[in-house]
Amino acid sequence: MELLPQLLVNGIISGTLLAIPAIGFTAIFAVLRFPNFSVASHATIGAFAGYAANVWLGLPAAPALIAAFLVAALVGLASDEIALKPLRPYGALTAAIASIALTIVLENMVRFGFGNELRGYDLPLVRDWRIAGVRVGPQQVQNLVLALIIMAAVFAALKFTRIGKAMRAVADNPTLAELKGIDPVRVGRLTVFIAMGLVGAGGMLLGLGTSIDPLTGFRFILPIFAAAVVGGLGSIPGAALGAMVVGIGEELSVLVLSPSYKSAVGFVAIVLVLAFRPRGLLGERAY
Amino acid sequence: MHSLNRRVFLGTAAAALSAPAILKAQSDAIKLGSLTPLTGVGGTYGPSMRDAISGVIAQVNEAGGVLGREITLVSEDTQTSPEAAVRAARKLIDVDGVSAIMGTWASSITTAVAPLAWESQTMLLCVSGADSITQLPHQGFICRTQPNSKLQIRVAGDFMVEEGATQMAWIGPQTPFAASSIEILEEIAAANGAGMESLIYEADKSTYRSEVDQILVNNPDFLMLGGYAADSTVLLRDIWQSGYEGKIIGPAYAVNQTVLDALPPEVTENVFTWEGAPAIDSGAYANVQAILGVEDVDPYSAQTYDHASLAILAMAAGGDVTGDTIRQNIRAVSQGEGQMVESAVDGLAGLEGGINYSGASGPCDFDEIGDITGTSFVFKQISGAAAAEFKRV
Amino acid sequence: MLSYLLATLTFAGVYALLALGLNVIWGMAGMINLGLAGFFALGAYASALATVALGLPIALGIVIAIAAAALAGALLSRLTLNLRGDYLAIVTLGFGEVIRLIAANEIWLTNGSDGIPGIPGPFRGALTPLQFNALSCGLLLLAVALAWFLTERLRRSPYGRALRAIRDDETAAAVAGKPVRLYKVQAFAIGAGLLGLAGAAYAHFTSYVAPDIFRPLLTIYIFLALTAGGTGNTSGAVLGAFLVIVILEGSRFIEPMFHGMSGAQGAALREIIIGSVLIFVMRIRPEGLLAERPPKPVEP
Repeated sequence: MELLPQLLVNGIISGTLLAIPAIGFTAIFAVLRFPNFSVASHATIGAFAGYAANVWLGLPAAPALIAAFLVAALVGLASDEIALKPLRPYGALTAAIASIALTIVLENMVRFGFGNELRGYDLPLVRDWRIAGVRVGPQQVQNLVLALIIMAAVFAALKFTRIGKAMRAVADNPTLAELKGIDPVRVGRLTVFIAMGLVGAGGMLLGLGTSIDPLTGFRFILPIFAAAVVGGLGSIPGAALGAMVVGIGEELSVLVLSPSYKSAVGFVAIVLVLAFRPRGLLGERAY
Repeated sequence: MHSLNRRVFLGTAAAALSAPAILKAQSDAIKLGSLTPLTGVGGTYGPSMRDAISGVIAQVNEAGGVLGREITLVSEDTQTSPEAAVRAARKLIDVDGVSAIMGTWASSITTAVAPLAWESQTMLLCVSGADSITQLPHQGFICRTQPNSKLQIRVAGDFMVEEGATQMAWIGPQTPFAASSIEILEEIAAANGAGMESLIYEADKSTYRSEVDQILVNNPDFLMLGGYAADSTVLLRDIWQSGYEGKIIGPAYAVNQTVLDALPPEVTENVFTWEGAPAIDSGAYANVQAILGVEDVDPYSAQTYDHASLAILAMAAGGDVTGDTIRQNIRAVSQGEGQMVESAVDGLAGLEGGINYSGASGPCDFDEIGDITGTSFVFKQISGAAAAEFKRV
Repeated sequence: MLSYLLATLTFAGVYALLALGLNVIWGMAGMINLGLAGFFALGAYASALATVALGLPIALGIVIAIAAAALAGALLSRLTLNLRGDYLAIVTLGFGEVIRLIAANEIWLTNGSDGIPGIPGPFRGALTPLQFNALSCGLLLLAVALAWFLTERLRRSPYGRALRAIRDDETAAAVAGKPVRLYKVQAFAIGAGLLGLAGAAYAHFTSYVAPDIFRPLLTIYIFLALTAGGTGNTSGAVLGAFLVIVILEGSRFIEPMFHGMSGAQGAALREIIIGSVLIFVMRIRPEGLLAERPPKPVEP
């Protein structure tokens, strides 16, 4: 079918964008061992911070992305200290449920400040290129490149920096890491900061192609969670791979079923993956 | 209402919290309820719908109220969820004792609230278009200002053919009127020798690129959008990026000013919209513009302006403040013999001689089941991110 | 006012049934079920279709609803037995969304997003709204009391102890000779049956079901209810459900105290209050208002 290559390209693009917040989500899981659903509101906060930098301050996309990262990272750190960290000793699920309540609070703080109006970034829009019958947007290519740069930076940091090594050590074995003199609280804070920053940047990248409102992040929470699970919760390369599977799977589903069942097809794909690999595609090693 | 033994039910915290509301309920202000989506996916519409209602009430209060009494607006949030909306409606009806609930959006929410309204004899004025709503056994307690969806689609489908459509397409989310919209467009296309394609997608997605690719496979030359503001923004952008050169039409509530502001102007250039039309240069429309402080009024806000005006005038005409009074008198003021009025204040002044209210969303005449009749439609075309009148039918 | 309190209490009853159902699945047996709304929807639609389309009596509709939800629960948990908690979470979440999509798209069966109006309630036509609310409230509280009694007995029974053992250490329980897989499927089915009962009760009380009702928001509220009340504690589940309704409804009366806010700001403030109070409750009582106290030490 002539549509197939086009759908594949669409899927790769949406998968790459999804990968950034999915990496943030899974990094928190790897180090702090709980699914932090407040990534939904942090993606929204990042998207709005980027909007403020782009539209109010007139910054281009790349510096606006840094603003998105920083604001979401700081809000993430602060809200984690206040709401979630004290609850973590009482179990992963208690913290997970509290993170949902936190999402309600943060999402509505954005609503309180910005209202419900749809907002668009102030970026020039260009029509898609057509390459061998397949269309792809210059802006999407730009987003794709930005996403790939971010991912490369994350992987390099994990592999080569002391902080990255400490994170991996805590993720692999917290007790052992502590014995070796790594402070788990500090590593936890750093993880939250970087992970929520990634989620915020990802929220802005996802918002660039559409328009944003206080529900922006909420629309992505299911695919983010799904991507992390498919790849293997806690595995950072897994989250990137899982995002690809979810992104491509959802787009290709249009060929099989009515698009009104798009996310259902995504879920069936997840169940199939889990049936053969109950711990996700890449298992649960952080790196 | 305020005996002690009933308070006991309140239990702990709620008792302290609700005490102010109980006190207010005893004062003799007339209460009207606004029940719009302030959070959730309908959140782009609700705030301005509420503001339109509140503006009408402020104008009437300034002019001395109705029946010698002040009107208070009680506003609740549907959260765009029928479950939350039912709880909110119970509070409006049972605690505040409102005589009318205005502004319910989304057919599932109106249908969920409807039985509460007619059982407790409260008037329900809604902006929902699903055909099934006025067929509920509502005994006259429902009126809607939104033309039913079949009529809207028929008018727009004819317009598409007149504007030269040879290959039509409909793309929208799953809603109560998706299936009937497609059916009607297929009928119109078949009668005029045109082709017709349709695609129902899942709402609340962040991109519809693949859906757009699919609907464009057969090279349509006229696309109709079937969704609301949030998904239309995404869709219009994806369609533009795909290089589609044909025509596009969308309901005015879906391609409204927020959408035009959120998108670069070239994306919406030449897109058509349509809506039920107010009288040309209507004073009602100008009044809503003044209340909201905007140039282009969202159709839903125009409708809730009419809800509030009609409810107030019907109470004045019937000389009482119950929901039943509104039910019995709404048609006497909306389509009565007499002077045409365009605001609640003017209507109250001219009530003695008989009035015929004509509103911001259209003439506001209702048939016996509460559907709006005699609506004319206005088609607009977008140019430079602003809608300009194109044609009336 | 009285009518409102009765209706609110009825909704609290629905929430309590949901929390009790979740408590069996999650609190006692330790399986995550983020697909609450799906089972709730199954029960609501099963009873609605049985009474409206087939004309069956309400009581029979409710039985069908419980059976349908329990069966779906048994099947789903049987299929996902090998999955660890976090993976079960995504599968059940997906189940809930799929049920909602089916309800919205399979118009021939469910009437699509129009929903099914006019679902009969007991003696609804013959009673005034106040009387109907009083009757519904009474019936719902009775159902909650019954569900509380049965699940509490379950919790205290040897079966309940076995479930707790499975929850805390599945391998150890298996080594101790407990039929782990069977027990897990049974517990999931029992809990799902309660969720289905809640759905049927909701449908007959409000007379209307539509896909929009079963969005994830409700699942979130119930999880918050059980966590705030005390996971694993039957009374905690009921208390948590009532607490959530008190917060949800009570917050309505705070907003008018603030003036000069736009509609969106007022609504946002209300939800900020709802979320903050819930976090606050969890912060001061991290194990829930009523923490789980196992009736007796687990016997070997």
